[in-house]
Amino acid sequence: MTTKEYIESGNLEAFVLGALTPQEEAIVLADIAADPELAKEVAAIEEALLNYAIAGSMPPPDDLKEKIWDNINTTQKENKAGITPTITPDANEAVGGRSIPFTPPVRNTQWRYAAIWVALVGSVAMNGMFWVQNSNQKQQFERQASVLNKMTEDQKALVQAVKTYKKNADMMADTAMQTIVMHTVVKGHPMAATLYWKKDKGEAYVMIEGLPKPPKGMQYQLWAIQAGKPVDMGMMPVDMAGTASIQKVDRPVMAGEAFAISLEKAGGNPTPTTENIYVLGKS
Amino acid sequence: MPPIAATYSEEELVLLLKQQSRDAFNYLYKNYSGVLYGVINKVVFDEETANDVLQEAFVKIWNNIDQYDNRKGRIYTWMINIARNTAIDKLRSKGEIMRAKIQTGEDVVNDVIKGQNTEQSTDTIGLRKMVAALRPEYEVIVSLAYFKGFTLDEISKTLNIPLGTVKTRMRSAMQQLRNEFNN
Repeated sequence: MTTKEYIESGNLEAFVLGALTPQEEAIVLADIAADPELAKEVAAIEEALLNYAIAGSMPPPDDLKEKIWDNINTTQKENKAGITPTITPDANEAVGGRSIPFTPPVRNTQWRYAAIWVALVGSVAMNGMFWVQNSNQKQQFERQASVLNKMTEDQKALVQAVKTYKKNADMMADTAMQTIVMHTVVKGHPMAATLYWKKDKGEAYVMIEGLPKPPKGMQYQLWAIQAGKPVDMGMMPVDMAGTASIQKVDRPVMAGEAFAISLEKAGGNPTPTTENIYVLGKS
Repeated sequence: MPPIAATYSEEELVLLLKQQSRDAFNYLYKNYSGVLYGVINKVVFDEETANDVLQEAFVKIWNNIDQYDNRKGRIYTWMINIARNTAIDKLRSKGEIMRAKIQTGEDVVNDVIKGQNTEQSTDTIGLRKMVAALRPEYEVIVSLAYFKGFTLDEISKTLNIPLGTVKTRMRSAMQQLRNEFNN
């Protein structure tokens, strides 16, 4: 900041009006000491304020003058009585018996130091308070931000889920859609899967809610039986078993007398392992 | 002791006060009590408190004259600051400042204006000139800072105006006073 900008900032006026904190005041004092231009400006502001105060003069009540004089005399006596005995002996020794001029403001100096300490301690305490307040607010803000993030994530997931349900509902509402329920072929193990098939479009969807989770390293594979032979229709994602999720079959299903699902090694096999065919349904 | 002259320079006044004589007091009181009392009355609102503060201020000036340092400014300003600070301390000890600080800006502004009005009706010596010297939006800020001991931040919050605006208005207010009073 240039001297001109400093002068125009209003900081010096705030200083003279006594509106700065002790810390800010100390900074301005140092700046004034370093720059005579600033000191000149401060003197001019003080002069204006002095004239402003003079213009607002009010005569005090008539009886006040004597009261104040009495008061001054009393406090002076008190000061002398309180301080002289403690100073005199040492002072006399030091200067060989010569009397030391009385210095009354000792008390006031102490009072000033006390005031400075009170101000300092107060200011430190306030800083502490503001710091705590600030960090509390920060924490609160962070908590709120994380709650908000979580809500946004939840909402995204919900929107996704609604979209999926809507798609599934549309798909199932389609009158051209054929539903083929594949039943268990393993004795003693009641299992089921469903295939939704729109034959004219070659579009198919599969749901394997009624199948157990595949063991590690294994995956379900869908087969369409075409002209008596099983044709690979793709792998079912591992986590799909036992859930109501509906997966689109990613290759066109143009024909199929029947459909079957077998448990195969991850990635699938070119032909189904016969003893691992779990469900089968005729179209 | 030399006879008391009609007027003294500031340097002479300091020396006179250091004599701590009745004549020195008479001169001090005659020439400065009105200004100090005017300032005190801008800070506190009741006469009894103002009288107490004037008394305290004179005692402080009398007892602390050795601490006055002319390199730090005029003795006149030094004395006014003693009166002003004593009055603000009194206001604080009575809890009035704290009360003012939790009031809404409007209340404080009304208080300041009310203070002016009372004084305007009771005082005839140039106070009208003093009030007329400042625009109301400046007057409020000068009063809060100089006579009520508010910090920039407190003024900004009390009047609900940005800190920068408070400073700008302080600058403008003092410019106006300088144009009015300084030669």
